[in-house]
Amino acid sequence: MRGRVFPRGYGFTVLGIAVGMAGLVALGAMAERISRFIEGGDRFVLGQISVAGEGMGMGAGFTAGGLLPAARMAEIARVPGVAIVQPQVMLPISTSTSHFLTVTQELVMGMDPAAPLANRHYQSLPVRSGRPLAAGDRKVAVLGSDFAASRKLTVGATLPIGALEFAVVGILDKTLTAPDRFAMVPLEDARDVWLRRDPLLFRVFGTGGLTRADLNSGAAVGWQDGVDPDDLARRIQAAVPGVNVTIPGELSRLLRTSTAFFSALLIGIGTLALVIGGLSLANTVTAAVFERIRDFGVKRALGATDGQLLAEVLGEALRVSLWGVGLGVALALGIGALVDSRTLREGQQLFFFSPRLLGFTFVFALLLGSLAAVYATLRIARLSPAEAIRRGA
Amino acid sequence: MQIRARGLGKTYPGVNGAPPVRVLDEMNLEVESGQLLAVIGESGSGKSTLLNLLGLLEPASAGEIWFDAERVSHLGRRAQCRVRGTRIGFVFQSFLLLAGLTALENVLLAARYVGRDGREAARDAEGLMERLGVAHRRSHYPAQLSGGEQQRVAYCRAVLNRPPLLLADEPTGNLDEGHARVILDELHAEAHARGAAVVLVTHRADAAARADARLRLVAGRLAP
Repeated sequence: MRGRVFPRGYGFTVLGIAVGMAGLVALGAMAERISRFIEGGDRFVLGQISVAGEGMGMGAGFTAGGLLPAARMAEIARVPGVAIVQPQVMLPISTSTSHFLTVTQELVMGMDPAAPLANRHYQSLPVRSGRPLAAGDRKVAVLGSDFAASRKLTVGATLPIGALEFAVVGILDKTLTAPDRFAMVPLEDARDVWLRRDPLLFRVFGTGGLTRADLNSGAAVGWQDGVDPDDLARRIQAAVPGVNVTIPGELSRLLRTSTAFFSALLIGIGTLALVIGGLSLANTVTAAVFERIRDFGVKRALGATDGQLLAEVLGEALRVSLWGVGLGVALALGIGALVDSRTLREGQQLFFFSPRLLGFTFVFALLLGSLAAVYATLRIARLSPAEAIRRGA
Repeated sequence: MQIRARGLGKTYPGVNGAPPVRVLDEMNLEVESGQLLAVIGESGSGKSTLLNLLGLLEPASAGEIWFDAERVSHLGRRAQCRVRGTRIGFVFQSFLLLAGLTALENVLLAARYVGRDGREAARDAEGLMERLGVAHRRSHYPAQLSGGEQQRVAYCRAVLNRPPLLLADEPTGNLDEGHARVILDELHAEAHARGAAVVLVTHRADAAARADARLRLVAGRLAP
């Protein structure tokens, strides 16, 4: 009775709730995963002005523009309001066209280790093991967590990119967004990879008046405090000829529009999860209370008041719901870990069990369990003790 | 405690247009402390309904029930709960033990809703169970007990709070002769040794013969 940890006689009830809650948590975790990815991308594009050289970007192979020469970057740096211009080289790790511009694409990101990140929302990336890139580094790489996991790379391992080999010096913490699939290397090394990979560029280089400093697939531009980034982006576009400038606000809107399908899907998944999990829990708790209608009659015969019965049922419903949701969460975590352990080999993570999801699940389950129990108790309380005993017989 | 019923009646509404069913009509009775009243009659004659009304387990359609000078039939829900818990003990034919509770927990259930001191109630419960020969089964669940043991546990629950009124509805209906005799002897002891008013619904002629008074029901009315 009191003090018993597992509520006796409620095994199937707990199991029923657990299955419903496992569904709710698993679907919720998938929605959270997609949501984090989209939010991360949005934060990224709103944190910097991305600039590429004029053109279709065929040389760069990835970015939305052509080469961005050093001279252009110097001009950008002179535009009032610009705080920092950080040259970057972004290349797909695989040159197979089937990998281009997909959310699963893995990238080599060349950056100057001596310069701070220009992105206001990603001033530094969290390193899980090892260290970040440092000034003077050459032929070293810091890997995103999915990138490292899919290749089973740890600090101290060697990562071949094309003909070059990089020593892995750091692994990033999971960000659940684009950097998880990045291999970050010093800018000069990324330029080497690019030159070796692209024979045409190699021929142009040296004869076309280009220097290594011109080998940039783009630049991240940071702004001074108080400057409106969209206005600044437009001013750069107007002041510097021969560049493609993305306007953060517009890009964010574009991103949200292009992910509207995913957002709708998330709402659908969330609603479905709530309905399935909620109905399952409410139905199970209500049925469990109605099943004990005879016990109610006996307790009323022994002098229990409506308030005493309600308190007892609420306590029991909370205990049963807590067990159910606990087991359900454990089940979902287990399934998630099992599935993710397989998909991570491909560099994918399908579930994200965020604290807010788990917190919401517990509160939702306890609240709904209580409401269902109160509803069922009030229905039974209308019966006389004799009627309750008769119906439960 | 004196129990009086005046003009007691119970009519169940008809279902799906059927006419109402009158189960009990113009019933008058009196039971005194220390008296065992046997209620006899054929199945469907209204014996159990009478017991339910006297025990405030369902409302009467007509009439009044008095416990001494208090008209308990017209009390509010909460007050009736208090009366049931402190002044009435029930022994049911089908025991009605709670499956999820042990034998001892079932007995102690009677004390839970009336605010009795837990330790004192537990002491009383142990003593009762010892006397009825079921103390060694205190930690067993009802499904693990025989019918006789279940009824003895149910009996302990009924008398734990020493109620001045004990209502027993065919308490021996599901028991063999030996167990039935134990329960009947206990009911007699409740009335004659402790001074409780006992109303016993029974089909057993010997039980009725031992009662201090008998009341025969025929089709919901007192037989002449």
